[in-house]
Amino acid sequence: MNIDDMRQDLGMMQISDSFFPTGLYANSNGLESIFQNNKKITHLEVGKIIETQLKQQIGPTDLIVMENALKFASAREFDKILELDMKMNSLKNIKEVREASKRSGIQLVRCIREFIKDEIIEEYLRCHQIGMISGAYPVSFGLCANALEIGSQKAGLMFLYGFIVSVVGAASRMGIIQHYQAQKIIHELKPLIAQIVSESIDKSTKEIWQFAPHLEILQMHHERIDYKMFIT
Amino acid sequence: MVWQMTDRIPRLGIGGPVGSGKSMLIERVVPVLASKGYSISIISNDVISKEDADRMRKNLATDRGLLPENLVIGIATGGCPHTAIREDPSINISVIEEIEEKHPELDLIIIESGGDNITTTFSPSLADYFIYIIDVAGGDKYPRKRGLGIESCDLLVINKIDLAPHVGADLNVMEQDAVRIRKDKPYVFVNCKNNIGIDKVSEHIVRDLLFDSPPKVTLSNRHG
Repeated sequence: MNIDDMRQDLGMMQISDSFFPTGLYANSNGLESIFQNNKKITHLEVGKIIETQLKQQIGPTDLIVMENALKFASAREFDKILELDMKMNSLKNIKEVREASKRSGIQLVRCIREFIKDEIIEEYLRCHQIGMISGAYPVSFGLCANALEIGSQKAGLMFLYGFIVSVVGAASRMGIIQHYQAQKIIHELKPLIAQIVSESIDKSTKEIWQFAPHLEILQMHHERIDYKMFIT
Repeated sequence: MVWQMTDRIPRLGIGGPVGSGKSMLIERVVPVLASKGYSISIISNDVISKEDADRMRKNLATDRGLLPENLVIGIATGGCPHTAIREDPSINISVIEEIEEKHPELDLIIIESGGDNITTTFSPSLADYFIYIIDVAGGDKYPRKRGLGIESCDLLVINKIDLAPHVGADLNVMEQDAVRIRKDKPYVFVNCKNNIGIDKVSEHIVRDLLFDSPPKVTLSNRHG
């Protein structure tokens, strides 16, 4: 491994660390709604729920958007980034999920901008300031991965890993699972993460799809819950 | 009606344990500041609900018209109240930036932390001035237990002084410990229930955070 590879890996560790300030710890991605409807949810079901999200929503939509954002940023195709941001924003059907995605995305980019100078990121933030960009998290993440010179594959891995950790972390804080089970769930999802990333890496934006109606209905319910710990 | 857009609107962070009186302090201080013409927004971080935000909205905005209803905002913190104001304040900052963009006329943004422990502190990127509130019912040992919140806050507020005789707390002990631990930094004894000490807290905010600046918009202009 050469110095550049190591630097890339360090960038990957930094951005996928839960210490990185993007507010993802406050998202349960629908799990809180499921928990409130069925308090007897088990750690096995938590793993299954994440699996469904990865296969039906995050993998075929968010991940492909992120990978394409990275590609467009690398090629300096800003018009395509604008289009992608709009597309991603319109695909987030649930208001609180959409808003959380935008907020986390913009905070992520602002944090990266503190220590990396990147033309695309500057232009992205300028467009956000004038309302041309929503800041959707997958797009922002792709741009930041590019600024950190992280390759598509590693960016994909850490993108999905970050998602899983936020859901597993939420499950842990709600007392659904204990800490060993949390790590076991993450471990058991590794083959799926690798498979989804390898299958999605070269997909175009025309291949985006999602189908998770039950999950979306639960997320809609979450918006109306009075007593909740999580934003989504 | 002219105001100058500054880099950021002054931000007051209020932290303290569950039930210490954070929301009640805000409910008492805001009317005093509003009577001086200051325009305020409130962000309430809550661990499990938006109950505090809803109550403040009703009491301060809906019933008394001291600020618009949409400027009292509740935020869920994913069970991590300290993370939301210190290690990763991005959710709060994001909401504040949206407020600043839409309401540059505001004089002050108050950020209430979710109930937490004595190590609570605010990230300097989130709050310019930090009030930590404890209450007498926790015992007179509270100030000398130290903790970053008690030691490092800009103003220590000790609430519910009326309960001292009922819980066997000695206010003199609390005062001596507060002086010893905080050295020259201020502290105020209050009883939010009947407004004792609230004027002093308001004076600190106006002098030490707002630097005695006049309100950007006068009350008459705001409604006219």
